[in-house]
Amino acid sequence: MTASTNTFDNTPFVIDYGPDLEDAISQLQERIEATPKLTQRYPARWLAIKLLEEDNIVSANVAGISGGAEILTIASQYIANLRSKYGEDVDTLIADRRYSWINHLVREIIRQGGADEPTTSDKIDQIVTNRWLGVPIFMLAMWAVFKLTTDVSAPYLDWITDVIGGPISNWALALLALVELENSWVASLVVEGVLAGVGGVLVFVPVLMSLFLALALLEDSGYMSRAAYVMDRLMRMVGLHGKAFVPLVVGFGCNVPAIYATRTLENRRDRILTGLLAPFMSCGARLPVYVLFATVFFPAYSSLAVFAMYLLGILVAVLIGLVLKNTLFKTSETTGMIMELPPYRLPTIRNVWSSMWQRTKGFLHGAATIILLTSIVVWALMAVPVGGEGAFADTDIDSSLFSRVSDLVTPVFKPLGFGSWEASGALISGFVAKEVVVSTLGQVYNVGGPDKVLEPTTFLEDVVSIVTSFAQATIDTFKSIPLILGIDLFGDEAQDAPSELMTAIRTGFEASSGGRGALAGLAFMVFVLLYTPCMAVVAAQRQEFGAKWMWTSVIGQFVIAWLVAFAVFQGGLILGI
Amino acid sequence: MLQQVLHEIETANGPVYYGELARKLGVERSALDGMIQFWVQKGRLRRNVPPGHTDSTICGGSCRGSCPGPNSCPFVMKTPQAYSIRIQE
Repeated sequence: MTASTNTFDNTPFVIDYGPDLEDAISQLQERIEATPKLTQRYPARWLAIKLLEEDNIVSANVAGISGGAEILTIASQYIANLRSKYGEDVDTLIADRRYSWINHLVREIIRQGGADEPTTSDKIDQIVTNRWLGVPIFMLAMWAVFKLTTDVSAPYLDWITDVIGGPISNWALALLALVELENSWVASLVVEGVLAGVGGVLVFVPVLMSLFLALALLEDSGYMSRAAYVMDRLMRMVGLHGKAFVPLVVGFGCNVPAIYATRTLENRRDRILTGLLAPFMSCGARLPVYVLFATVFFPAYSSLAVFAMYLLGILVAVLIGLVLKNTLFKTSETTGMIMELPPYRLPTIRNVWSSMWQRTKGFLHGAATIILLTSIVVWALMAVPVGGEGAFADTDIDSSLFSRVSDLVTPVFKPLGFGSWEASGALISGFVAKEVVVSTLGQVYNVGGPDKVLEPTTFLEDVVSIVTSFAQATIDTFKSIPLILGIDLFGDEAQDAPSELMTAIRTGFEASSGGRGALAGLAFMVFVLLYTPCMAVVAAQRQEFGAKWMWTSVIGQFVIAWLVAFAVFQGGLILGI
Repeated sequence: MLQQVLHEIETANGPVYYGELARKLGVERSALDGMIQFWVQKGRLRRNVPPGHTDSTICGGSCRGSCPGPNSCPFVMKTPQAYSIRIQE
């Protein structure tokens, strides 16, 4: 940047405000100069401009000076005349002239290396935010995110599954044996309640970390702002409020802040409408369900299946939004908006790690509190025998209180292909938090119970096994990265055998759907995507929009989920899929 | 110039961003920022920040919408800085 040299003279600095304003200023200035009490305190031109700007402090001071009231009256006449001529406040007219002068001055004296030439960010934006290319590029970015979350995180997912199912279960049983509790209800609680429940969810930590890593990379690189910009335009094109997309983008991480983010919308109707649509955005908590079911039923296309769920969520939100916008929420014009798009930059390790860790910590906190508590409640309900068969924590799971209660709602899900008490029970508990669906499935399919025979190993062998399998998972993760581009470095290496839970889910869904397990699994994924939001979201909706809209969301989403899942399953049957 | 800024935001078919508008009007970005702040002070533009938030960071979970900082909130997300035309009540 260089500044040109100039010779300064002693001429007082004056901005030319244009003929009409200058006329008013000079006439008012003359009246002020005729009032000595004022000129003793203020320069006349400066005071004239301040009075025309309706500066509160200066006006109050002038009012207290002899002759000041008369000057204020004259000033107000000039203000009224100018306002009626220009239809704008005089302070705006003055500021406008000042900004024009500043801009002219800056352009005259500053030579910035090609100020008018687009920067690198501008050049990238010409493609990334392009009217036609913006949306496909956003979809491509999302696709890469889901390839990362499913393919790249898979080795660590397998590693944690093996660690929880092997060494940690071994240690838990050994500790219970040490205190002679291995045959008590405590053993059942630890293994069937905590390990099957919380452990079943914790295995998905690598998946969520991958999602949070991808979100952090997109945010820190500056792309996330562009995504909001691009999608805003798309929302407007279909008639929705553009600003709604920011809360909806936030909803991809978690629906709770998405509900609070609706506060940025000015109009209450727009806030409620966006608040009703936000839960259709697939939050991170639903990802474990998708990944589990996609791996069980669509192992060759798991990324595509997960990606399809996210797209379906957006599509349903747009369709429901259009219906509501043209019925219940028929109002409000869209308002203009200006956004600051930060320049692109290379994401820093510190920022990315911090963002990823904060979110993962939030998930782990949920696992240690609400998921643990729900797993214990589900275990307790599964431990209570109904009909006098067995004893507490020593009953056939099919005769437990949990299975009987879940069975009551099973008929509702029969037309959707997953009318079993296991699936029904998982969906009921999923109201607490969506990831609980997975933990409950782990419990109800009773994999790895206390009776499970584990290979006897020493502590040292377990530690060695954890470390070596971690190293192998790390190598496999690096080998998985090219999968994002469709390059398979694994070749003919044997794929890992499905886990016990995966096999149990497949068998269960095949049975409940008359042999159409994959179709029922897809309907289940769709149902989890769309059905009643979790407890925390419902509480946020009540707080922000009131009980009436909360119930609209709770019941409405259940009905929508049922209808779409019904269409998927029954449509698939008709088409012979 | 000020009027032009407001007019461009009002009449754009979709959001506009700083760089695009600055180039279109031939103004420096810093000057444009000053003009935006002027309209915010005049009440014609509104900064899209939820009540209880000091910047464009959105929090969730137990924070119930007010953001004490990333260490206290399970979910924090930065959203783009944006200003929109204030609807006249």
